[in-house]
Amino acid sequence: MQVTSRRRLLLAAVILLCLGIWLAGAGGLLEYHSSKEVLAPPGQGHWLGTNEIGQDVLTGLILATPTTLALAIATALVTVSLAVGAASLVVFGGPFLSALVLRCVDILQVVPTMLLLLLIAALVSPGFMALFFLLVLTGWSDDVRVAAAVLRREALRENVQYPRVMGAGWVYCWRWHLFAALRPLLGALMVQNIRQAALKSAGLAFLGLTDPRLLTWGSMMQSAMDQLYTDAWIWLLLPPAALLSLLLHTTLTLGDRRLRSGAVLGPAV
Amino acid sequence: MSLVHRFVHPRFLAHAAAVGLALGAAQYSGLGADTLMAAEPDRQRQLVITDSKGDRGMLAPYVHRKNGIAYLYTSYIFDTLVSQDADGNPAPGLARTWTRSEDGLSYDLELQPDAKWHDGTPVTADDVAFTLRYMAEHPYVFGSVKSLAGVEVAGAHDLRIHIKRAQYGLVEGLFSAIPILPRHIYEGVEDPFRFATSDAAIGSGPYRLAAYDKAQGRYRLEATENHPLGRPRFAQIWIVKMGPDAALQAMSTGEVDVISYLPPDRLPEALGAGFAVETSPSDHVLRLGFNHRGQFQTKEVRQAIAYAVDRSALLETAFPGVAELAETGYFQPGSKWKSEDATESYTYDPARARDLLLATGWTQDSAGRWQAQGGEIRLRLLTDGREVKPAKVIAEQLEAFGFAVDLRVMEMASLRSLVADGDYDLTLFSSSTLGDPGNISRRVFGRGWNSDRFPADPKMTGLIKAQAVAQNQAERQEILAQFQQLYAENLPSYMLVNPLMATVFNDKLSAPFMSGGVAIGIPSALHKSIFLE
Repeated sequence: MQVTSRRRLLLAAVILLCLGIWLAGAGGLLEYHSSKEVLAPPGQGHWLGTNEIGQDVLTGLILATPTTLALAIATALVTVSLAVGAASLVVFGGPFLSALVLRCVDILQVVPTMLLLLLIAALVSPGFMALFFLLVLTGWSDDVRVAAAVLRREALRENVQYPRVMGAGWVYCWRWHLFAALRPLLGALMVQNIRQAALKSAGLAFLGLTDPRLLTWGSMMQSAMDQLYTDAWIWLLLPPAALLSLLLHTTLTLGDRRLRSGAVLGPAV
Repeated sequence: MSLVHRFVHPRFLAHAAAVGLALGAAQYSGLGADTLMAAEPDRQRQLVITDSKGDRGMLAPYVHRKNGIAYLYTSYIFDTLVSQDADGNPAPGLARTWTRSEDGLSYDLELQPDAKWHDGTPVTADDVAFTLRYMAEHPYVFGSVKSLAGVEVAGAHDLRIHIKRAQYGLVEGLFSAIPILPRHIYEGVEDPFRFATSDAAIGSGPYRLAAYDKAQGRYRLEATENHPLGRPRFAQIWIVKMGPDAALQAMSTGEVDVISYLPPDRLPEALGAGFAVETSPSDHVLRLGFNHRGQFQTKEVRQAIAYAVDRSALLETAFPGVAELAETGYFQPGSKWKSEDATESYTYDPARARDLLLATGWTQDSAGRWQAQGGEIRLRLLTDGREVKPAKVIAEQLEAFGFAVDLRVMEMASLRSLVADGDYDLTLFSSSTLGDPGNISRRVFGRGWNSDRFPADPKMTGLIKAQAVAQNQAERQEILAQFQQLYAENLPSYMLVNPLMATVFNDKLSAPFMSGGVAIGIPSALHKSIFLE
């Protein structure tokens, strides 16, 4: 119980922080503007230095936090839910549904993502929602087979078969037996999807799918890549990369304590 | 010719065998140092040039890529009638002399008597006449022969070219731009745009194409013998694809001799390593383009945007030390067409911009956002991946002025189609201002995404036509001076900054950027004359 309440506290704190940042940004308290101090190293005026058009890196990191968190977590949640839903259909849905879902997955995996994105980009107008939509659409298919494999294995176990024989429905079995077995996997899939969402979203700006000024840690890392030949990468690339790592680590910890520090085989604490 | 032979020339095999033998012999005779010293001049006779992009297509007139660099490489293989001297002025090319008739309606040309095609056939007046006819049938992208009335062959090496209307720029325009084709090769070719075999690259230039690897974007050129303009300085020229990092690295180990374009912000590294560096304003000016059929039909609105954009801040923010402020009247300093009279420079003046917009009926709400016909004005600014930095700064400046800006960085195909459909308000693009002014019309009124796409304007069109038929340089300059005033006032596009370009050389050779650009106006230091003795 204590763990759960601590988790809720953390979540509330993060949401409050994001709201605060968002309000500060909208109210003009935090201004992220270009200046003539281009690629200035960290110092008095700019604690984390400035980027290639003289924007303050620290301000950027702060302003990027709500967008990055919202985009990454929302995308990961929806992607993983979709993938698990599709995997359930594959395992329990009968031969026709199973084949249908798997063929859809095949098509999505075979068609180059870029082509798909360009096609959709012609239809939707760019923005946060379009980005979210695109990330989900191109992300869910990768996880279906993994989740289906685990589900299939778990569904054959005695602890599922037994209640089934005793008359329990699939929903009951899912809730009390399968979900528990899936949780470590879900944690890992979440982390993977958060990472992908954060990095992919930056790349999409270059296809005209988003405004390149949409600020996320991923986009900050992407523009830092141009400065790899100067010393500036130290203050341009490392801070957003560190924050992203922290996010991934926190997700892992919150998702399943058994996955922390790689202690997968140890007993649950 | 087999594939292997095309890529590995027999002579190269012979060289390799000779070096192998020499090295083998050296081991036995104990004369290693001497033998290697003897091999050194061979390395001296080879030049390696890097290109950051790579594949420029087959180096033949109709099948090279439609850009300046591809044209430049092709010019090493194909000669034009008129070439350039070190100052960029006309100099003999395939034509030894050219004489303009009194009435200006014809030119008498005398060709170099000893010029030969790469397969050994002599170059004759027939080839020139054929080329001009052939290009009328199959237009060449970098030179139009529409102004010619006919060609008369007067002898093996003499011909007279008739033109429809007397015009001044023919020598520096058409004669310097179009590559002369071998009649015996191209005569039977119905569709030159699909003719890309090795025969298509038989020209009369000082170097011939020995190998082309499309996948690697690599070219090997070999010197020809007895070129009329001089002996080639290098036995071989390699053009290889390499990014700036790899190129700088390879240059310090001596594997590379010339970096054709080094991004100017990397110059300190090249200078630190002790290489010779040539820089020049590229005259490929970064411009803010307007949708003249959309919100920017009236010139006052365009002028307002020009006053609302702070070019000096843009220069210092997005181009610190790697560009100059551009002239707003089209031609840039250093061009012989640049007018002495200053044009309006649109110094940052938001108050004036506001007055201009209010006068055209646009309004500003209490929060300072601009409105027209009751709705908020949203400007869609399009650009490609190369101009993200300046695009961000300009979007920020326009937002600070009260516009909502929708910035989109597009991939080239979608960009072209959006611009063609008029689905934009502003574009950010670079385009050259070099070359003979005969090309202004295309760059200002053309429909391409990197043209100004300015609608027909009788006054400006009149001036462009008048300068084409002017009888001498002074008259042409005077007409073009008026054009520059009009350009700065009408703003077909707003010239922002003139980025610098840099070429890096090692001790084998170095040359400054050619004044006025190479041939059709390519900002480059690598005119083929520097590869001749």
